[in-house]
This record gives sequence, C-alpha cells and structure tokens, in this order.
Amino acid sequence: MSSQEDQAVYSIGAVARMLDIPPSTLRAWEERYSVITPVRSEGSQRLYSRAQVEQLRFIKSRLESGASAADAHRLLSQEIAGERVAAAEEASGDARPLILLAERDSYAAGLAEYFLRTEGYEVAIAADAHQARLYFDERPPDVVVLDLMISGGAGFTLCADLVAKGNAQVLAVSAIDSAAEAMRLGAAAFLRKPLEPLTLASTVRDLLGTSALSRHARRTTASC
Amino acid sequence: MIERLPSGNERLDEILNGGLLQNAINLIVGVPGSGKTILSQQFAFHNATVEKPALYLSTLSEPLDKILRFGETLKVFDHNAVEDGRVIYEDLGRVLGGEGLEHILGAIEGYLKELRPGIVVIDSFRAFAAVSHDTPEFRKFLYSLTRLLAASATTAVWNAPYTREQAMEAAEFAVADSIIALDIKLVGAREMRVLQVLKLRGSSYRSGEHAYRITESGFDVFPRLADVQDRSPYELSEKRSSTGIDALDKVLGEGGYWSGAATMVAGPSGIGKTLMGLHFLFRGASSGEPGVLATFQENETQLTRVAESFGWTFSGSGVHVLSRSVVDIYIDEWVYQLLDLIEQTGAKRIVIDSLPDVMIAAAEPVRFREWMFSLTQRLERAGISMMMIVEVPELFQLRRISEQGLSHLADNVVLLQFVQEGPELVRALTVLKTRAMHHHPVVHRYDITEKGFVLGDVLSLTR
Repeated sequence: MSSQEDQAVYSIGAVARMLDIPPSTLRAWEERYSVITPVRSEGSQRLYSRAQVEQLRFIKSRLESGASAADAHRLLSQEIAGERVAAAEEASGDARPLILLAERDSYAAGLAEYFLRTEGYEVAIAADAHQARLYFDERPPDVVVLDLMISGGAGFTLCADLVAKGNAQVLAVSAIDSAAEAMRLGAAAFLRKPLEPLTLASTVRDLLGTSALSRHARRTTASC
Repeated sequence: MIERLPSGNERLDEILNGGLLQNAINLIVGVPGSGKTILSQQFAFHNATVEKPALYLSTLSEPLDKILRFGETLKVFDHNAVEDGRVIYEDLGRVLGGEGLEHILGAIEGYLKELRPGIVVIDSFRAFAAVSHDTPEFRKFLYSLTRLLAASATTAVWNAPYTREQAMEAAEFAVADSIIALDIKLVGAREMRVLQVLKLRGSSYRSGEHAYRITESGFDVFPRLADVQDRSPYELSEKRSSTGIDALDKVLGEGGYWSGAATMVAGPSGIGKTLMGLHFLFRGASSGEPGVLATFQENETQLTRVAESFGWTFSGSGVHVLSRSVVDIYIDEWVYQLLDLIEQTGAKRIVIDSLPDVMIAAAEPVRFREWMFSLTQRLERAGISMMMIVEVPELFQLRRISEQGLSHLADNVVLLQFVQEGPELVRALTVLKTRAMHHHPVVHRYDITEKGFVLGDVLSLTR
C-alpha cells in the first residue's frame, strides 16, 4: 500500500461524531469560510485529514469560548499562517490497527473498507478464502472481518482456522443469521449483513479495545 | 422476518404487515399525479435521523426545486430536518444528463459512503431506463445498483411512473423486494384513488385495492374492510337490548333484541324507520349504552329537529351523530371514521341510515357484501348492537327487500309497511325474523305520536 493510502482520512460523518458538530454545519463552514477544505475522493465524498480534525477542534473551542463562527475561522487562518496549530501526528510509522476484510462482494468490501479507513484503520481486502489465508499469514491483522459465506461457505472453516491461529479476533458477518454457529467456531462477534457503518466501526473498536482516535489521544496526552 | 420501517401512516403499515422492507428495495409505481413523491417524502421525513439520514435523489422527471416547493406545502415536510441534515435533497439529474448512466453508480456510491443514509429515495427511477442506450445496458446498471444497495444498510425507495400493468413487465419488478402500486380509477363518473400491494417479499400483506386520499397532512390510506370469517369462539351476550318501544320488547319477549345482534329495519319512505332507530339509540343511552347514528340521510341540524319533536336531545345524551353525504365518499374511509367514533365514545349501539346509501358508495355489489359481512362480524364480536335501515320502494304489499341478499347477515328483520284497513291507510310492523328467539310473525298496527312509536293491536289482514 502507498504511503498516501496509509494516511488516516476521516469521513464527514466520523468527524461530526468525533467533534459533535452536525455534518450540515461542517459543510456550511467549508462553503462560507473556505478555511478547512477537505479533499474530495473520486466519488466526491469529503476526506478530512487528521490536521483538519485538529483545526475543527480549534474552531469548536473558540465557539465554546463565545466567539462567532466567522471570528473563529479568522483566528484559525491567523494560527495557520503563524503555523501555531499543531498538525496531526504523522500517520507514517504510526502503527494503526490492521483490519483484514474477507469479503467476496466488491461493493460490500468497498463500502466496509471506506468506513473502516475513515475511522483510522488500515484495511486489507481478500476476495476469497484462499487469499484471506495468504494475507493473514503474511501480515497478521488485529481484526478479521470475515463473511462466512465467502468462497461458497468456506468462511465457516476459515473462521475456525483463523481463530485457532490465535493472533486476531474474528468478527464474523453474514447475510443469514449465523451468530450461534460463528460463536461456536470461536468468532469474537457476529454482525448480520448489510453492515451499518456505525455498528461495524463500534464493533471493530470494541474488539480492539480501543480506537485509533483514542490511541492517538493517549499518545498526545503521554507526550505532554 | 425482514425488519420494517414504518411508512408514516399506520393504516398503510397495516396493509404492509408492518411497513416498508428495511434494507431492501421498495418500488412505488403509479400514474403521474397518484402521489408517489408525496408518499416517498412522507416516508423519508418519518424515518430520518441525524445518524441515519434520508437522501432524496431527484433525476430527470421533475426539477429538485419543484419537488421541494410542492413538498414544503405538506405537513410532513420538516424544515428543521432539512436544515440539520436529517433529510438531504440532491439532484442526480445533473450527473444523469451530463455524464449518463455509467456515472450514476459512482455518484450513488459516493453518497452512500459520505452521507451514510438509512434511506435513499430515487425519484424517478424510470429516468434511468429512459437514458440507457439499450435493454442490456439498463439491466446491467440495475444489477450493479441492486448489488450496491444490498451491500449497504440502506432502505431504497424507487418511484416510477408505471401503470400496474407496465410495472409487471418492467425490469425493476424482478429486483424490487416490495412493490406498491398507486392508481386513479373511475367509479361511475368520479375518480377514486386506490393503492395495491403487488409484491412483498417474504411476507403476507392485505391484498386487493385500498382507497387513499392525499391531503395536506400527507398520504392517508383506508385498508379495505374485508375480514376473513373468524371462527374462533367468542362470548355471546346474555343481555337483551331494548328496542326503545316497550310494546315491541314484549312482542320479542324477554325485553328486546339480543345484545350484539344485527337488526334490519325495512320499509318505504315516511314509515318511521329513522324514528325506530332513534328509539333504539336513546333507550340505550338512557341505560348506559352510548350509541352512534351513522347517517347519509339527514344532517345534524335536521336530525336535531326530528329528535326534539319527540322529546329527545342529542347534546350530552350519549347518542352521537356521524353525518356524511354520499358525494365523493369512500366506504372504507367512512367505516374507519365510524370505527374510530365507536372507540372514542364506547358506543354499544349503532344505527346505519341507510344501507342503500352504502351500497351506492360501494359501487360494486360484491365489494358491498364483503364490506357488510366484515363490519357485521366486527361489531357482533365486540358485542355492539347494530340496526341497519333499508328503504324499500313499494308502499304496499312488499314483495322483496332489495338489500343485495344481506338479510341473512341480520339476526332480526323488522318490516314496516303501509296497509289498508277499510278506507284508512295505517302503519304496520311485522317481525319477520328473530335469531334465537321465539316470536309469532303477526302484523301489528302502530301509530306515530309525539311520544314516537305506539304499538297497537294485531291487524287482521284479508285480501
């Protein structure tokens, strides 16, 4: 994966949740003040960098201090010019959790990958059971999101095998209710497809015991 | 069972057995003007949340501004929801017109990723078929879009201006998980809006056509009253309900009709059928049984005058009036007003004045019979006594009661008619049928005085 891909990007929904600012407000600020302008993906969705999340946090703190949105953005512009707002920690070298996504459907894989990436995770996609085994052995992930129906139902066996290796937690997913079977095979959690972005992210976060964001926060606190 | 999302209209949810299918493709078809856009917006506003917004995508049928302008006139349109991003309107027409079908998938995928909507409305979907170069291209697009939506936790609502027949042939029919058809049909010289579920994957639904109206409050549906026969046991009342005419109670024995019974009162114009209904209702109300007079014949002012001439007052009496003209009436809309009023007032006695008016409103004899059967069954099982008034054309020597063969639904049939007694024309009452009671079908003379019905002697009729 390229270094660009390794950099954390956050969706407008994730940023909204992280900072408790409605997406409509984020869009309005962008249009009105043109200070924090996230890049756009090919599909035209906004991708916020870590630095931009910090800049928005700066705006929010000024608003909470009683400043108007216009004043807060003007202050931010001055801060940026004076390079006084700390840029986000560099993602390169930052050991972000790796999620192995074993999903046969390219659309489902694409959506899940996007939702996980925008939560700050590194994602590898395997389109079949064989590829999933290769990726797993090559670079053990922190969590495997495994479609049990992959490769004609080979996901059940794969689930048991990956659990037996003991390196990763398995989040089993399926379009049919296979929760009991997944648990019997040792999966740490089960989700019914289609996957809701928030549920997927929070389940992965639960399995990791922490999120990329809180890891970042801990590092920031530790360095102070 | 697939989970459901409520449609924003409880009665439509009844028809759909709970609502639209969640995380599925719901197709709404209907001729232009049938209310597809209104229903879709009602659904979007009803279910949208900050976490799972509703995304409303216009295509090439109507400009987005026009959808918004007309949508704003509805009560379901919530400005706050638009401002805080719970309902997001976007124009896909730009992509479709400028770049064609191949870019639509990318654009929708972008919206799914960035906005993470719980609901995606596409209005109208038929525009995609219109801009595709050929059928294979459209089918390929349809398959890809279906896969994309299936992969996301999104409930899709597609609008398309198809008739019911066209919908059956359309490629969208196969991929849709539910299909609701809206139609406008002619009943006599008037238009009637009808909704029909054509498909609901993995679930039962209320079949047939259901009337609906579009008001400023949005989409209101009246599920076709067509209950199947309920064979489960229920408790029959041991009580009698006085007719309100003491002498008639004696004729019937034990003090009147069985409570919960259906009684048909038939007779020509001016014979006193409505008066018999008023006797029944006011006697009930005075003994703690509220009642409803559901009438198409007279309005409340006229009825008040009639009642007062016999010493009754509606106000505070426990007798409620549901007055409605037969003009532009939907019998299922009316019956829900009646059932709602029964529930609100705790009514135990109902008088319908008159049955032929309901027959006219129903337009079709078969529909009228199933409607009548359902209503009778519901009231009977709820222990509510019903009196159905039927006007007959003959003043004398009645040969048949033209009530579409419904007298078998009635537990009791009372015939009122004029008979000639020497040079005098007198009113006569005959109890033709009583269920689970013994009576002699003799003809009683009766007079109408300021106290109402006064039952007289048995008439000896000779021809």
